[in-house]
Amino acid sequence: MSPTRTPLMHRLLQLVACAAIAIAASMPAFAHHGWTWAEDVNSELTGVIVAAKLGNPHGELTLDVSGANWIVEVGQPWRNERAGLKDEMLVKGVKLTVSGHRHADPKKKVFKAERVFIDGKKFDLYPDRD
Amino acid sequence: MLLETLAAGLQATELSHTLRSSIWLYPLVNTGHVIGIALLFGAIAPLDLRLIGCWKGVPLDHLSRTLIPVAIVGLVLAVSTGSLLFATRPLDYVVEPLFGIKMTLLCAAVLNALLLRLSPQWRWVRVATGAPPRLAWRIAGIVSIVLWLGVITAGRLIGYR
Repeated sequence: MSPTRTPLMHRLLQLVACAAIAIAASMPAFAHHGWTWAEDVNSELTGVIVAAKLGNPHGELTLDVSGANWIVEVGQPWRNERAGLKDEMLVKGVKLTVSGHRHADPKKKVFKAERVFIDGKKFDLYPDRD
Repeated sequence: MLLETLAAGLQATELSHTLRSSIWLYPLVNTGHVIGIALLFGAIAPLDLRLIGCWKGVPLDHLSRTLIPVAIVGLVLAVSTGSLLFATRPLDYVVEPLFGIKMTLLCAAVLNALLLRLSPQWRWVRVATGAPPRLAWRIAGIVSIVLWLGVITAGRLIGYR
């Protein structure tokens, strides 16, 4: 009944710690969460909605921007509702402008929307951000 | 494909629609999933470490009497809330390789626990106090920890796809 760690347990803990660090380090590479995967500078995109996939856990629009399809991430239901955006406004054929951040990798046509403009009306998903 | 037809059917249900458009329900189900995982892994990790050879002085019998029921409650909570999370967007999950990996690891982890619990040797837990760890139990303990860590990691990564 010794309170000291057995070498086996010590090795196991080390293994678990290494795995945890490796996983944590790989996280920012993925989209959806936060902005770490996107460019720092703000930009805009204007296009026509080709497809809309709204609701939990992530809202996503496919936007035709002069012939190229962009995946535009919008809010979850609570965020869209707070901004005044309704699902009926984000349907196929609607022309809109989004401002926010492009994916840091220029090959990836993924965009994180912070604001949506439809017919000149602004819907602010992140009022606290520039 | 049959699986995708079934997924399409599930996604068209009222339940799926309610989960997708909900403001509070989905985050609550998500929270329940995390609590289920916390109970399950929090109970199974000390049990596995005991099987591997830590805390030899603590009777395995006592540990398993408290930790196994907690782990089962955690598993039931995690699986039931997980089914609701799946029902939110089944069409996305059936084509997600990480989801397949997670389900495979989950089945293996549950099977490993059942095989150990139902093995004839499990009766020995009552006399196992202070005895040197059995090799088969050590292996089962290591396999269990590795599999559950795999399930949790795959699950977390699905959220970042």
